[in-house]
Amino acid sequence: MDRKTIIPFGPQHPVLPEPLHLKLVMEDEKIVEAIPAIGYVHRGLEKLTETKEFTQNVYIVERVCGICSFMHAMTYCQGMEDLMEIQIPDRARYLRVIWAELHRIHSHLLWLGLLADSFGFESLFMQLWKNREKVLDIMEETIGSRVIISANIIGGTKRDLSKEMLIKISIIIDEIAEDIKRLEPVFFNDYTVKKRLVGVGILTGEQAYELGTVGPMARASGIKQDRRMTGYAAYGELDFEPIVETNGDCYARTMVRVKEINLSIRLIKQAIAKIPAGDFSVPVKGNPTGEVIALVEQPRGEVLYYMKGNGTKFLERLRIRTPTFANIPTLLKMLPGSQLADVPVLILTIDPCISCTER
Amino acid sequence: MIKNLTEISKDMLLNETGKMKYNGYRFVTATCVDIGDGTVDVIYHFDKDLELKNFRINVKRGEEIKSITKIYFCALLVENEIKELFGLNITDIAIDYGGRMLLSDEELQNPMLKRQITIEQKGEE
Repeated sequence: MDRKTIIPFGPQHPVLPEPLHLKLVMEDEKIVEAIPAIGYVHRGLEKLTETKEFTQNVYIVERVCGICSFMHAMTYCQGMEDLMEIQIPDRARYLRVIWAELHRIHSHLLWLGLLADSFGFESLFMQLWKNREKVLDIMEETIGSRVIISANIIGGTKRDLSKEMLIKISIIIDEIAEDIKRLEPVFFNDYTVKKRLVGVGILTGEQAYELGTVGPMARASGIKQDRRMTGYAAYGELDFEPIVETNGDCYARTMVRVKEINLSIRLIKQAIAKIPAGDFSVPVKGNPTGEVIALVEQPRGEVLYYMKGNGTKFLERLRIRTPTFANIPTLLKMLPGSQLADVPVLILTIDPCISCTER
Repeated sequence: MIKNLTEISKDMLLNETGKMKYNGYRFVTATCVDIGDGTVDVIYHFDKDLELKNFRINVKRGEEIKSITKIYFCALLVENEIKELFGLNITDIAIDYGGRMLLSDEELQNPMLKRQITIEQKGEE
């Protein structure tokens, strides 16, 4: 008779920077079922937005997640601009792309560093985070803060980037690209790294689609799904093709993220080359009325904002569906059949952001 | 203002969700909005080729809604969240946390529902 054991994983665990609990039902070393428990740090931010003016909510949604804070604010502002029929200046659309892609780079570098750390590759972790620091330094120099930068406002951006600053950004991202080129072979060819990632946690394209998987997780399973393809902000004027891999394992998910850093660098270079001169914000008049849905591709995948205005300064409802919230059910289907030793890497490859999930 | 939004009755929900699955749509999420007159709107969002399709049902608080997790397993977290934060009676969820996914016993019941708040000024009777 098979004997089942239940092993609690988290909420505190060395690979988890934030609290997530999984009840793992085991048969020997093999997982047969996984049940999640969340809610350790739920903050009720959606409710809080109902008590603040719609212009103040930009600062609340930025705090949904530190790592993709810019894109939360961008999604909110895009939705409000849609709702209030505000046409933002072309320059602001390009500025948003530059800052958004810088955020994607630092998010992916953070994740790759954590992954390297999880399988004990300390020097790789440090090399990756050294490059992330360069991105955070750009944030600090351009807007004054390193992580939550508050660059978005409804109607455009709060600040502009000077010509000299754009040249400087271009030089720094070239340096990052050089470093990534040097580090790429470690992820793609190193024996130890491949041993931990290849063939682990396979998710087929059909499974990913059925489970509503988003972001690099879905793209690593062969699904060409990237909200940037809809052309929001200035993406419609930039030349890019989403990164797609087909193996659907932890290795494919890593490859997608490494390649997406290079894609972000190319997008920033294009945006810098094409950015038009002019204003970077327009004044906002009136209050929002009606409903709108805004969608943006964050580093972890698609984020959905639903907003309902009632003609006053206060929103009737703001709803946020973050990418990790969408990817947790996938994790539950991916874990059964895996070995206990692979659980930390498997959880990491969904790039879980509990802060987002517990908004 | 929302594109591709269809109003349906709650009895049609499973049928329409089944059709979405059959037609190759991905389940994105569900959004719950307290209307304030004792009813709640639930909007179900589906996606195919980056085009959203939305269905809205309007239900009375406490009225039973069947879970769609038998069709889309991935709806389990959002359905538990709605059940807990808005107090909707969603039944047959694949993993039902019984209203304790996010909240503990000490916390306010259904905190996302609209409530009448009276602010008392100091010194006023």
